[in-house]
Amino acid sequence: MDLSELDKDNTGRCRLSSPVPAVCRKEPCVLGVDEAGRGPVLGPMVYAICYCPQSRLADLEALKVADSKTLSENERERLFSKMEEDRDFVGWALDVLSPNLISTSMLGRVKYNLNSLSHDTASGLIQYALDQGVNVTQVFVDTVGLPETYQERLQQRFPDVTVTVKAKADALYPVVSAASICAKVARDQAVKSWQFVEKVQDLDTDYGSGYPNDPKTKAWLRKHVEPVFGFPQFVRFSWRTAQAILEKEAEGVMWEDSAAEEQEGSRKITSYFQSEGLQARPPHRYFQERGLESATAL
Amino acid sequence: WNADESAVEKQRIHVRPATLQDAAPAALHFLPCEVLASRPAPVERFFSPAIRQGADGLQVSFRGRSMRGEEVSVPSGLAGFVMVAEEKEEGLIGKQDFGDSENNGEEQEQEPLERGFDRFMGATGSFSSFTVWGLETVPGPDAKVRGALAWPTLAAAIHAQVPED
Repeated sequence: MDLSELDKDNTGRCRLSSPVPAVCRKEPCVLGVDEAGRGPVLGPMVYAICYCPQSRLADLEALKVADSKTLSENERERLFSKMEEDRDFVGWALDVLSPNLISTSMLGRVKYNLNSLSHDTASGLIQYALDQGVNVTQVFVDTVGLPETYQERLQQRFPDVTVTVKAKADALYPVVSAASICAKVARDQAVKSWQFVEKVQDLDTDYGSGYPNDPKTKAWLRKHVEPVFGFPQFVRFSWRTAQAILEKEAEGVMWEDSAAEEQEGSRKITSYFQSEGLQARPPHRYFQERGLESATAL
Repeated sequence: WNADESAVEKQRIHVRPATLQDAAPAALHFLPCEVLASRPAPVERFFSPAIRQGADGLQVSFRGRSMRGEEVSVPSGLAGFVMVAEEKEEGLIGKQDFGDSENNGEEQEQEPLERGFDRFMGATGSFSSFTVWGLETVPGPDAKVRGALAWPTLAAAIHAQVPED
């Protein structure tokens, strides 16, 4: 898979896709949606769609695609190249969501949680297929959160296609299995060849699985703490594991939106009994509004 | 305001004039958060390479939070310096060097230096603009720091001699 677009800039979102097979513009198509790398504290999350004409579904099944989790990395690579050989009737597209995009979404002033991010990304990819002229009639999605509400939302957004959202859809529908293989191949390759934005000293690429409970991953996180900046952007700062390590091993940081809450806390009751006369007069509003204070000592 | 001045510990600050001429240009970033420590940080390795030019200004993230930034110039007639104070006793050791005659000595007989009262500072960098970052949005024209930069000009106007008619 050619990830050179991602290597150029991996701080945001990156979309990659195959050309649309001509037959997919004419014949009614099934489309599967799946994701890889949702749980890990390291690296991107990848969302993928895969589609083919309903009439060729048997040919896709004949490739023996299966849930990507039950396949070895080699088998996934092999299946993906077979799908590439079948590009006259199989198409795919994917979104690589960088760890930086995930962190900044989840830690925004208005929190944008991972489920919403996932749902919106999946909708975006289905819309992309439609915009490219793929004649999508049926969509199968591996669920994130409750399948019923997710299905309802997608069905509302795409009233002209039949949407099926199910847990374990990647094991039930070959077109979702195919999507899961695309996603996993891209995620594995992206992690392996990750271009660090930072100039990290003594970079260790033995991350372990990237899952927060993997001792190797935890050791990697601890080793790469930078006291001021925290971690390289390869780390999802919004993960509890990452935050816990920062709390212990990095300097504290107060943001303007977190500070406001604390300052407005109640005054100590004894403060009302203290003579006001001892307190210095606050500076004029002109200076307060500009964050200026007079300094009398260094 | 002068009512409580007696309660405040005061210091006399001396600037090392030579350091102002030697100060190399520095890249400065003004963040919308406070790092609860004062220590060197590898800005050139961790922060600068991550800055991108987006549609709505510069963008970067710090500790997983998104920031938008813009370049702010130091007002004309002013110069920016990064000043570092010397340790309390440093300036007092050895000969008492009051700036090389820069002291336009009219107002003061050179008073002897006092421990704890006299402090020295020198410039470690100079700048004519810096990057102001806002949490998720560009700080914009209403940013506090822009207002603060307008004060020196106003102060000069207020304190200038008014010609008598």
